[in-house]
Amino acid sequence: MHEPCIAPASQALFLAASLSLLACTAPPPASPEQALIARGEKLFFEETFGGNGRTCATCHPRENNFALDAAFIATLPSDDPLFVAERVPELKTGFENPRLMREFGLIRENLDGFDDLERRFVMRGVPHVLAMRVSVASVAGPRTGWSGDGAPGDGTLRSFATGAVIQHFTRTLNRVPGVDFRLPTPEELDAIEAFTLSLGRQADISLPLALKGTVARRGQEIFLDNALGKCNVCHVNAGANASFGGPGNNANFDTGVERLPDQPARLTTELVPVDDGLGIPGDGTFNTPPLVEAADSGPFFHNNAVETIEGAVAFYNGRVFNESPAGRFLASSDPQGVGIRLDATQVVAIAAFLRVLNALENTRESLALLESTLVKGTAGSLRVRETLARAAAETGHGIRVLREGGLHPQAVARLEAARKQIESARRSSLGRGGHVRRAIDAHRLARDELVERTSP
Amino acid sequence: MIRQYTLARYALARYALALLIAIPGTGFLAHAQEATERFIPIGQSPGLSGKETMLGEIRGVDANARSVEVATSDRTYRVTVTDTTRIWIDRSQHKLPAITGTIADCQQGREIEVKLADGREDVADWIKVRPAAP
Repeated sequence: MHEPCIAPASQALFLAASLSLLACTAPPPASPEQALIARGEKLFFEETFGGNGRTCATCHPRENNFALDAAFIATLPSDDPLFVAERVPELKTGFENPRLMREFGLIRENLDGFDDLERRFVMRGVPHVLAMRVSVASVAGPRTGWSGDGAPGDGTLRSFATGAVIQHFTRTLNRVPGVDFRLPTPEELDAIEAFTLSLGRQADISLPLALKGTVARRGQEIFLDNALGKCNVCHVNAGANASFGGPGNNANFDTGVERLPDQPARLTTELVPVDDGLGIPGDGTFNTPPLVEAADSGPFFHNNAVETIEGAVAFYNGRVFNESPAGRFLASSDPQGVGIRLDATQVVAIAAFLRVLNALENTRESLALLESTLVKGTAGSLRVRETLARAAAETGHGIRVLREGGLHPQAVARLEAARKQIESARRSSLGRGGHVRRAIDAHRLARDELVERTSP
Repeated sequence: MIRQYTLARYALARYALALLIAIPGTGFLAHAQEATERFIPIGQSPGLSGKETMLGEIRGVDANARSVEVATSDRTYRVTVTDTTRIWIDRSQHKLPAITGTIADCQQGREIEVKLADGREDVADWIKVRPAAP
């Protein structure tokens, strides 16, 4: 049997061609910022900090918009680290409430201190970590977490992970660094901060949009009407900043959510102490969240009190809000002395507007992800498959928020087509680029169903 | 149309003023999650230690004046302990949990970290003190 014979000149040519191919497929070099984000991403999803097995992603899973809800929790295996309190004797009491976690997606927090673990705690939902670039900074200093005071140290987003490790990652309730967990290093804090800041929108949108849907368009008008919906007063451009007090006014308000009757968790026999919001002792205020990402990241409010976006809008129409400090002051500034008073059709219209905003954001994110897979040199990598999976999930969220609101069936059909192409791209290697391009086209068509095209 | 716009702007300005002045909690101090601060060992508080806090050794304590004298690497400070000052005993070196302390735990020679209250040069917001070996 003869060895295949390659002449030296041919060998050189073959080698040169191989090197050239390698050069084409090698990923482009990462900038220092990209490298920091990548390190932060790895820490966010994999690092347990020597604790009970939880990572940041345990409570902020990417596949569920970086948030938790009961439906997602129900899909997790019993050995998921989220349920550590159900398995580890040292964490059985005083760490979580498994019933409230499984039924309502609530997490236990000791925001007012750790001296009385049985009675002094609050039960809070898990907010998403999207668009933090535009929803943390404020004229009053950084606002992290539901009440704006979620981080130890200097209170910045960078310091947040330190508090989270102490609160949620511990092996025992002693919470001794070096024994029950290790604290993140300064370099790790830098990386996690860079990663979380990279998620979602990097800038606020500018309203009004040229929406095509009749109901959503009317919802936008009401949202922006400072004499009717008044939403834009505190959620300017559907973000986290108020339309007064200068740029970055990511303010705290007492809107009365904590005083809502029939809160789901309080309908149980479980102890759910009053959540007093910002500070120790708290002043009853909570931080303004961004709304663009709201529709697909419920339940809503710090206590997961309301399940749907329609219900969340209706809250501002109710007695509790209108009797709250925030509601009363809105009323005191109204010529008729009215806080917020809307009819059911108007509530649904605002919710429809928020659903469309969310779907547009899903499409923006999906397009960015899909386009990133077409960058020269990324083909064939495992990273591409992960990115496509994220694009598929994001597209699915867009489908869901529109479908559940009975909105834009044609856009839903386009998004379904996009999702099919993305799934095909995930399965194939050779024709992947074509599937991705067709998915991009379908996404653009879906977007055109929602909003007038403003650029070529 | 112009009148409507002006009215809307006026209403908005009134909302702004009312909300900024009167709603409790729109305060202008950065709040940290001080509950977990207690478990962070002396010198390791992110963004604070070495920048915004005093790190040193207790030089003396005046129980009547409720003040603590802290010697840092460059000078000596006197800080007052008020009813709102939180004092934590950092026992992490002994692999024991941090516990709440009192001014009686501030004893000469002990390692100490002090964060001053916002806008104050002599009032402690929180104090961490390291005990002697058990």
